[in-house]
Amino acid sequence: MVKQTQDSPTFALQNVFVTRDEKSILRDVSVHVDALRVGVVGRNGSGKTTLARVLAGLVEPSAGTVQIGDIDPAKNRKAAINIVGILFQNPDHQIIFPTVEEEIAFGLLQQGFGKAEVAEMVAKTLAEFGKSHWAKAAIHQLSQGQKQLVCLMSVLAMKPRVVILDEPFSGLDLPTKMQLARYFERITSAIIHISHDPDLLTTYDHVLWIDEGALRGQGAPQVVLPDFITQMQKIGEADDIADLTD
Amino acid sequence: MISLTSPIRTCAHNWPAGPKLMALCFATMVLFAQNGVMFHLSVFALVMAIYALAGRTFLRFGLTRLRGLWPFIAVVMIWHSLTKDTTLGATISLRLLNAVAMANLVTLTTKLSDMITVVQWMTTPLRRFGLRTKQLELGIALVVRFTPVLAYKGMQLADAWRARSGKRPKWQTIVPLAVLAIDDAEYVADAIKARGGL
Amino acid sequence: MERNLALIALFAALIAALGLIPAFTLGFGVPITAQTLGVMLCGTVLGAKRGALAVLLVVLLVALGLPLLAGGRGGLGVFASPTVGFLVGWPIGAFVTGFIVEKLRFGSLGMTAAFASVVGGILVVYVSGVIGLSIVLDKTIPEATLLVVAFIPGDLIKAILAGVVTSALYTARPNSVLSRA
Repeated sequence: MVKQTQDSPTFALQNVFVTRDEKSILRDVSVHVDALRVGVVGRNGSGKTTLARVLAGLVEPSAGTVQIGDIDPAKNRKAAINIVGILFQNPDHQIIFPTVEEEIAFGLLQQGFGKAEVAEMVAKTLAEFGKSHWAKAAIHQLSQGQKQLVCLMSVLAMKPRVVILDEPFSGLDLPTKMQLARYFERITSAIIHISHDPDLLTTYDHVLWIDEGALRGQGAPQVVLPDFITQMQKIGEADDIADLTD
Repeated sequence: MISLTSPIRTCAHNWPAGPKLMALCFATMVLFAQNGVMFHLSVFALVMAIYALAGRTFLRFGLTRLRGLWPFIAVVMIWHSLTKDTTLGATISLRLLNAVAMANLVTLTTKLSDMITVVQWMTTPLRRFGLRTKQLELGIALVVRFTPVLAYKGMQLADAWRARSGKRPKWQTIVPLAVLAIDDAEYVADAIKARGGL
Repeated sequence: MERNLALIALFAALIAALGLIPAFTLGFGVPITAQTLGVMLCGTVLGAKRGALAVLLVVLLVALGLPLLAGGRGGLGVFASPTVGFLVGWPIGAFVTGFIVEKLRFGSLGMTAAFASVVGGILVVYVSGVIGLSIVLDKTIPEATLLVVAFIPGDLIKAILAGVVTSALYTARPNSVLSRA
């Protein structure tokens, strides 16, 4: 297991509950993880996306404490944007500005850097990805995979200590997935990768299994993933797709 | 999407919407024709009694829906106490409360589907003028279907903003939301065409 | 055609959705409710007829009992309240806004859209709103105007934003800006 050099864990949750409209989305989740590559696996609707948002500080838990880096990301938004970044599933629901450089610049401006500095940092980020020619490109001309890359660049430009990837490969074709995966591998910050696909997490350091809002298991991928796959296959042979969620 | 019909059933829930709406129109006209403060006070008592007939929860429902009017009533009462005509102020306020309470009563006791039936009935004679009622019905269905979808996407964009900023989203988030609405419209148009078109 | 109906319905849904999403800010923490901006956009993007139909659809659904107005308001009660004039004015305002954007072809689209939003989205809507207010609250027109004058600066800013947003939409999706098709 590759340990972080800092003292504080990648993240820690203590008795976290998230309830919305009387429905329990996360129930009593407690976990203390200290690893560079963390996977979170679970069915769609299991609560793992909410967990991602809790870790990013976008959702404040109804009860319990959250710590990522050294801070509570929901209560301390100003510090949070310097520590944790999040990449969502659908770039169309994430990109706000019309051109690539504006989109990447946004987070940096929010972090308080001056305009000239930001311009330099944007150029540097684009260069690191070999995409300097994208600077003035219009977002609507890009493919889904290219847009997802813009989102990644926008997040990494802010130099977060932890990057949360929430099902970043949704809807992308195989070659694009492979290319994007290579960019992810080069990330030096800690990664928390949320996915319903166990194959993507086999090389990770630590995997959490979220099931129906609770932490069902955690550990090395070789231990957790086979159990998860077996359970998923069992469910696949049944017919719970017929159940209506309330 | 949930309509404002009250889940607490009353006998009025079973009455057809058309007559209820006509009664409301008539009652509202009477309300605005009368100027006596005692008249409006009695009407208010009557309307509250009707709400109370359906139980305490229903009455509470009804009263909550009147809460949004308090700024207007405050302005009116302050205005009229300054012009030394508080009786008129009270009349205006009571009339307002009555009109809104009666209208809400119809909304609370009428199902969306019953309302749509009235709309269909009202627009049938307009068909000869080119109004295609099928399109109206489909349009209504589409709005009900897509409002939560767009609201969800709007929240996602707001989250995307908040994830990189300490602060609340600014107006720029409307642009990608409108683009999503336009793109969804293209998909919907294709879906309609694929199932026979209009 | 299907595309017209879909765009009308989706923009109606957009207005409704803007009522559900918590207020945006203008910067400096000033909150704006984006629904009136949505009404202006119906006119500037969809043009007079279709823009008006989109807004009319929203108003109709509010009458039918759906909580589409900001704050979850809706139902027939809204039509008996002092703001009824504004609601009635919305589709007319969208029509006028759209008409101006369709017919006025000099200057940039953004500026035309902003100007059209002021005339349709503010002037027309406020005239209607003030009339409604004066009837329901039994005040003279000048008195009713006094009551609403404080909201005009905010709406002027929305009109400018409508211009900027329309211009941005024309860049991103030119074929869908029906007012300039």
